[in-house]
Amino acid sequence: MSLLKIGARTPLNILVRYAHWNKDWKPGPVPKTEYEKAKAAAKYGLLPEEYKVYPDKGDGIGDYPDLPLTSVESRDPTYHWDFPEYRRNFGEALHHKALLYGEDRYDVCMRPRFSMPMMLAWFLSAMGGSFLLCYLTEDMAFLPVLPKQLPKPGIEHYKFE
Amino acid sequence: MGNISTGIDYKLHQDARPNPRQESKFDPLFGFTEDRKKKVMLASEEELYSAKIPAENRDYCAHLLLDYQKCRRNHWPMVYKCHDEKHAYSHCEYEDFVDRMKAYEREKRLMARQRRIEARGG
Repeated sequence: MSLLKIGARTPLNILVRYAHWNKDWKPGPVPKTEYEKAKAAAKYGLLPEEYKVYPDKGDGIGDYPDLPLTSVESRDPTYHWDFPEYRRNFGEALHHKALLYGEDRYDVCMRPRFSMPMMLAWFLSAMGGSFLLCYLTEDMAFLPVLPKQLPKPGIEHYKFE
Repeated sequence: MGNISTGIDYKLHQDARPNPRQESKFDPLFGFTEDRKKKVMLASEEELYSAKIPAENRDYCAHLLLDYQKCRRNHWPMVYKCHDEKHAYSHCEYEDFVDRMKAYEREKRLMARQRRIEARGG
């Protein structure tokens, strides 16, 4: 590390490659000028036209790029990814909430087989049908006995003899 | 299948059949020439509490249940020695169930009687 002299002219991609601590992974300040934007795009391995910044809300995202949200589950499983388990290539910039959209998490790109109103209708008809059946068949089968008499103070119960 | 025929009978004549979840609406002494025998609770509240008998088992047979549980505790693991106590308890529960069946039939007949009186015009 000491052999590498880090100065103002060191390319940013080299800086990222030699980053070894969390402070080195911190995004930079929000780029304002075109030059800063191009520099930040190069840092994240993006083309300048692909690079978009999040609006500066003071939440520390800084120059991190606003990438299109694609879930791992919906990516091509047959492509030769560098990391097949993450379906990700080396040096590829991740969405800043990528952990929420891993293969074991939510798939935003999923196209459900049935539409949402259809699913809701099926759910409600199944549940409603069950409740309706329960309601209609209440007291439909019971043994012909009155409730058990439990001793209570002040109440007399009698036997049949 | 008797439970289903009872249920369908109840569904078809709901105003003429007693509800299985409701206590009797009639005077328990009505129609009896002699005094009815009272059910007596022999187990005390403290006994039941200390034996941790569940609330639904604290009925008029609870003293036999206490005997049975005591016997099981004393003879564990030779619980076959408690068959007398077990049978006494089961028999008490059986007789209570037969009483409940009779109470249902009585309730049904009293309801029919009441309907006859109402049909006659009070």
